[in-house]
Amino acid sequence: MGVDFSHDVVPLLSRFGCNGSACHGKAEGQKGFKLSIFGNDPDEDYRAITLQSRGRRISVGAPDASLFLQKVIAAIPHAGGPRMRKDSPEYRLLHEWIAGGALFKIADKADVTGVRIEPERKVLGFAQREPLRVIATYSDGSEKDVTWLSVFHSNNTGIAEVEESGTVVTGNSVGQAAVMARFHGQIGIFQATIPRPGAQVAGGGQKAFNAIDDLVEQNLRRMNLRASGIADDAEYLRRVCLDVIGRLPTSAEAREFLQDTREGKRARLVDRLLDLPEYADYWALKWADLLRVDRQALGQRGAFAYFSWVRDSVAANKPLDQFAKELLVAEGPLSEQPAGYFYKVVKKSGEMAASTSQVFLGIRITCSECHQHPYDRWTQRDYHGMRAFFEQVKYKKLGDDEALVAEGSPQIRHPRTKEILNAHPLGTAMPEKAAEGDRRQTLATWMVAPENPWFARNLANRFWAHFFGRGIVEPVDDVRASNPPSNPELLAALTRHLVDYQFDPKALIRFITASRTYQTSSHPNETNESDEQNFSRAVFRRLPAEVLMDSVSDVTGMPEKFAGVPAGFRAVQLWDSLQQHYFLKLFGRPARATACECERATGASIGQTLHLMNSPAIQAKLAHEGGTIARLAAGTTDDSALVDELYLSFFSRLPTGEEKSTAIQHLSTRKEKRRQAVEDLAWSMLNSLEFVFNH
Amino acid sequence: MNRHHPSFCDGVARRDFLRIGAAAALGVNFPMAGLLATEAAAARRGTLDASRNDTSLIFVFLRGGLSTIDTFDMKPDAPENIRGPFKPRGTNVPGIQICEHLPKIAGVMDKFSLIRSFTHSNAGHGPADHYMLTGYHPTASFNGGLIPNNQHPSIGSVIAHKLGPRGSIPPYMCLPTMHPSGSSAYLGPQSVPFVIEADPNSPAFEVPDLQPPLNVDASRLEDRRGLLAKVDRFQRSIEQRANSGASQLSVFSERATALMTSGDAKKAFDLHAEPEKLRAEYGRTTLGQSCLMARRLVESGVRCVTVEHQNWDTHFGSFATLKDDLLPKLDMAMSALFRDLSDRGMLKKTLVVVTGEFGRTPVINKEAGRDHWSRCFTVAMGGGGLQGGRVVGKSDQQASDPADNPYGPEDMCATIYQSLGINPHDEMRTPEGRPVMLTNSGRIIKELV
Repeated sequence: MGVDFSHDVVPLLSRFGCNGSACHGKAEGQKGFKLSIFGNDPDEDYRAITLQSRGRRISVGAPDASLFLQKVIAAIPHAGGPRMRKDSPEYRLLHEWIAGGALFKIADKADVTGVRIEPERKVLGFAQREPLRVIATYSDGSEKDVTWLSVFHSNNTGIAEVEESGTVVTGNSVGQAAVMARFHGQIGIFQATIPRPGAQVAGGGQKAFNAIDDLVEQNLRRMNLRASGIADDAEYLRRVCLDVIGRLPTSAEAREFLQDTREGKRARLVDRLLDLPEYADYWALKWADLLRVDRQALGQRGAFAYFSWVRDSVAANKPLDQFAKELLVAEGPLSEQPAGYFYKVVKKSGEMAASTSQVFLGIRITCSECHQHPYDRWTQRDYHGMRAFFEQVKYKKLGDDEALVAEGSPQIRHPRTKEILNAHPLGTAMPEKAAEGDRRQTLATWMVAPENPWFARNLANRFWAHFFGRGIVEPVDDVRASNPPSNPELLAALTRHLVDYQFDPKALIRFITASRTYQTSSHPNETNESDEQNFSRAVFRRLPAEVLMDSVSDVTGMPEKFAGVPAGFRAVQLWDSLQQHYFLKLFGRPARATACECERATGASIGQTLHLMNSPAIQAKLAHEGGTIARLAAGTTDDSALVDELYLSFFSRLPTGEEKSTAIQHLSTRKEKRRQAVEDLAWSMLNSLEFVFNH
Repeated sequence: MNRHHPSFCDGVARRDFLRIGAAAALGVNFPMAGLLATEAAAARRGTLDASRNDTSLIFVFLRGGLSTIDTFDMKPDAPENIRGPFKPRGTNVPGIQICEHLPKIAGVMDKFSLIRSFTHSNAGHGPADHYMLTGYHPTASFNGGLIPNNQHPSIGSVIAHKLGPRGSIPPYMCLPTMHPSGSSAYLGPQSVPFVIEADPNSPAFEVPDLQPPLNVDASRLEDRRGLLAKVDRFQRSIEQRANSGASQLSVFSERATALMTSGDAKKAFDLHAEPEKLRAEYGRTTLGQSCLMARRLVESGVRCVTVEHQNWDTHFGSFATLKDDLLPKLDMAMSALFRDLSDRGMLKKTLVVVTGEFGRTPVINKEAGRDHWSRCFTVAMGGGGLQGGRVVGKSDQQASDPADNPYGPEDMCATIYQSLGINPHDEMRTPEGRPVMLTNSGRIIKELV
C-alpha cells in the first residue's frame, strides 16, 4: 500500500510540531506557509503544501528538490531549524509520498480506529527510563507500531516527563502521572506510578471509618505512604466548620464541642452544621461563582432573583440532578423561572454548551470550537453538536418581565465541512433528524441520568475537592482521558454513593466528613511530608477571601460593613459580584467572569500580608471600644481565662502550657497597657499561619 | 520554534525543573527556594547577559490607544479627513517632525526613537492589550473580563522571573494600578507585580499598608513581631515545610517585612521628597507623577515599572480632548522623564517604552474622533542602550499600513528583553509542561541597537 497525505503525512506534521500554534499552525501561519492547527483540516493543508507558492513546495519529478523537503532538513534556511535528518525514516516516508505522486488519499487504505500504549501502566522508581510503544489498530483489523509517528504529553511533568521518542523519564518525586500518545486524532494512555522508595510501610494500623478509607489506604499502600494520625477534636472542629459552613466556630461552640464526651459527637456536629443557615450561605456562594451570578450582566434585580434560586435550592437540599435539570431546561417568565438568568449571563449558544459541560460534566470543550481538542477526543462535531441544543434559546419581553423561550428549528452547520449538525450529547451518535420541541430537554435527560458517565462523577469529585483542596481528578473541571483520576476506585465509590442517595448533597457531605481520611491530622509523618496528592494528611488551604474576612470580623467582634446591604451581612452572604471591597479583592474573590473554579484566586501575595499586618481597618477592629478585645481586656483580670478565650475564638483550641505561659508573661509585663497588650496578642494570632489557613 | 523536546536552554538543571514542576502540578505555586535556585542557575549558566542585566524598564501604557497620526506620525499632505487639524513641528533632531502640541517632547527627540511601522492584528481593547503587554496574541479562550486575564506572562513578570529582585524592593511594580494583562500567568505568584494601588498625584499619596497604623509605634511593632514569632506555631514547622501554600505565605511575610523595614522602599515611595520644581515639570497629573514615581522606583532597584494611563480611547471629539487634556499631560510627563533620566545619567540603563495597545483610524469619523486601528501605529522606545533620535520604518501615505520594515509586539518584546540582558529566545515551560518561547519568534528591532 502506498503512502498518502491524510493517513501518513498529517501525523508527521503533528509529530514534528510543524502545525503547532507557535509555528505554521498559528492563525497567521509562519513565513507565508500556514497549516491548520494540529492537522485539523487535512484538505486545506494538502492544498497549502501541494498548490500554494506556485507549486514549488512539491516536485514529484525530483522529490529531493521539493521546497518542502529542503525546508524540513534545513538544506535551505528554515527558521524552525532542521526538523529531521535526510537519512531518517521520516524523511524517507515524505520522499516516498512525493515520489508516489503526492496523493491526498488512497481510497481503500485502512483508517486508524484506535491507539493504545504498551505497557498500559507500570510502577517505576526514581530517575528511571521506560520506553513506550504506541500501537495503532486499523479498520482492516491490522495493527502497526506508530511510536515514531506519535506525539507524547505528560499530564504531570513534575512526576514524569516524556521524551519526544516516547521514553518516559521519572524524576525524584512520589506520585502518579499519565502520559498520552496522540496519533491521527486518537489517544492512548500510559499510567506511571512512582511510589516512595524504601521499605514497604505497613498500614498505619488505624481502622477504617467507612468505605472511603479502605480505598484511600489501598492507594497509599501502592504509593508506599502511611497516613498521618487522626486529628484531635479541636483540629477536626475548626476544619469541618470552615468546610461545611464557611465560618469559624465561636469560642462557646468550641468549648461545648471539646467538653462533649459522648460517642458520635463528630457526626452529630456535622448534622447540626448542615442544618444551619450558614451552610446554605456558604454553598450558595460556591454555586453562585460557578453559575455566574453576575450583576454586571443581570442588573440588581436579575442577579438577586438568580442568586435566590441558587440559595433556596441549597437550603432546601435540592437533589443535585434536579438542580442541574432546572437550570438546563429553564423556560418561561424569569420572575417564575429565575434559573433562566443563566442564559443571560452566558449569552452565546456555544458558551452555553461549554459552560454547562464544564460545570456539570467537568469537561472543557472550548478547544474544539475551532479544532480537535489536542488532549482529548472532542472534535468540532462534538462542540457544535452540543451547541445546537442551545440555539433555540431566546428572550421575549413580557411587560416589565422577560420570558425565556426555546423554540424554532435553527440549523447548525459544521464550520469547516458545512455538514448540518443535529444536536447530540458528547460521545453519543448524532440523530438523523433534529429533535422536536425544546432540544434542551433531551440534553437534560441525558446529562443527569445516573448512568451518564460524567455527571455524578464530576459532582462527587467537586465535593471531594471542596473538602481536600484537591480533586481526585485535578483540576476538577478538566476531565479527559489524558487526565485520569488519581484513585479511580475511590471516585467510583463516591459517585455510587451520590447516585444511591438520589443525588443528595448533604448525604455526600456526611459520607465524606465521616471518613477517617477527612479526619486525618495535618501533621506529616516521615513518609508523607512531601505528599500533597494522595490524601495521606490534611493539606493547608488558605481561607477563601470571604471566609477570611468574616473570620477577622468574628474574632474581633466587629462586623464588616458592606455597601448596599443591611448591617450584619456577612461577606459569605454577598451575592453581588460587583461589590467593591479592597480586602475581598486583595484575597481573590472572583469576578464571576467564567465558569471555572480557578477564577477564585487562592494564592498569597505581599499585598495580602501587608494588609493583615498594617491595615488601619483591621487595627480598628482590634482596637474598637465595642469589640471583643476591649471587652476581654476590661472584663477579666484572670489572664489564664483570657488567653483560653482568645485561643478558642482564633484557633478553636486551648493553648498548650507553653503557649499559655508565653501569653501570660506578655500580659503580666505590660499591666499598665493591658488593653494594648491584649490587642497585640490578638494581632499576632490573626497574622499567624494557623489563622489564615484551614488545616 | 516550539520544539517538542526542549533542551533546557535557560540552564535549569533537570532536578530543579522537576522540583518546581512537582509543586506546580499540585495546583499550588512554586516554592520560592526553587525559584531563586532557578534564577541563580540561569545566571550561572550565562543565559543572562551580565553586562546588561542592570538595565530597567519603564513601560508607559496609554490605555485606549494613542492616535499616532495626531502625534508621532503626522500626515500633513493627506486629505483633510485624514490629516486632522494639528500641524507638525520640528524637533531637536533635524528631519523628524511631530505634533505641534508636543513641544516639550520635541525637545528630547534625540533621546528616543519612533517605530512608525508598528503593526498587529487585533483592534479590540482586551486582546490587543494582552498582545502588547505580553507579546502573545490571546487564543480563542481568552476572557478579557478576568483579573488577571493573562494567558502568557506580562513583560514585567518575565523580567521579574528572569532577573529576580535587586535588593529589598520587588522587581516588578505597577502604577497606579495593575492592568488585567499585567500578571504572571504560569510563572506563578513570585512574578506578579507589587501594585501600589494609590494615585501618586493625590496630595496624601501613600502606599497602602506599608507602614503600621499610626497608633502602632516602632517599639510596639517590635513587640508584635516578637510575639508573632512565638505564637505562630506553624512558622518553621514541619507543617510549613510540607505545605506549599504555607511555605509560600511565609516567603511573602518575609518579603513584606523586608519591604516595611527597607529604607530603599520607604525612600522610593516618598514622592514628597522630590523638589516641587521637578514635580511640576513632570506635571501634577496622575500620568506625570506616576512617571516620576517610576524613575524613583528604578533608582532604588525595581527592574520593571508599568505606568498605566487611561482615557486614550478617543472616539468622540478627540481633537479637543487631545489638545486640551491628553497631549499636554503626555508632553510634560514623557519629556520630563527622558530629560530627568538623562540628567541623572540613568538613561543608558533605563529603557522607556511609550505606546497604546493600538493606534486609531486614519479616517476621522463622524463624531470628530478616530476609532481603533491596529494595522499601523507608532511605538516610542528610548534609553536602555538603544539608539535615540531615529525613525524606524515608515507608514504609507495615510498611515493605514506599514510601508516598509513592519514590526509587531513580538519584536518589541524581543528588543526589550535583549536590552535588559535576557535572551529573547529562551524557552520556558508551563506547569502543565508545555514549552513556551519567551517571545513568539520575535526579532530584534535592529535599527535601534
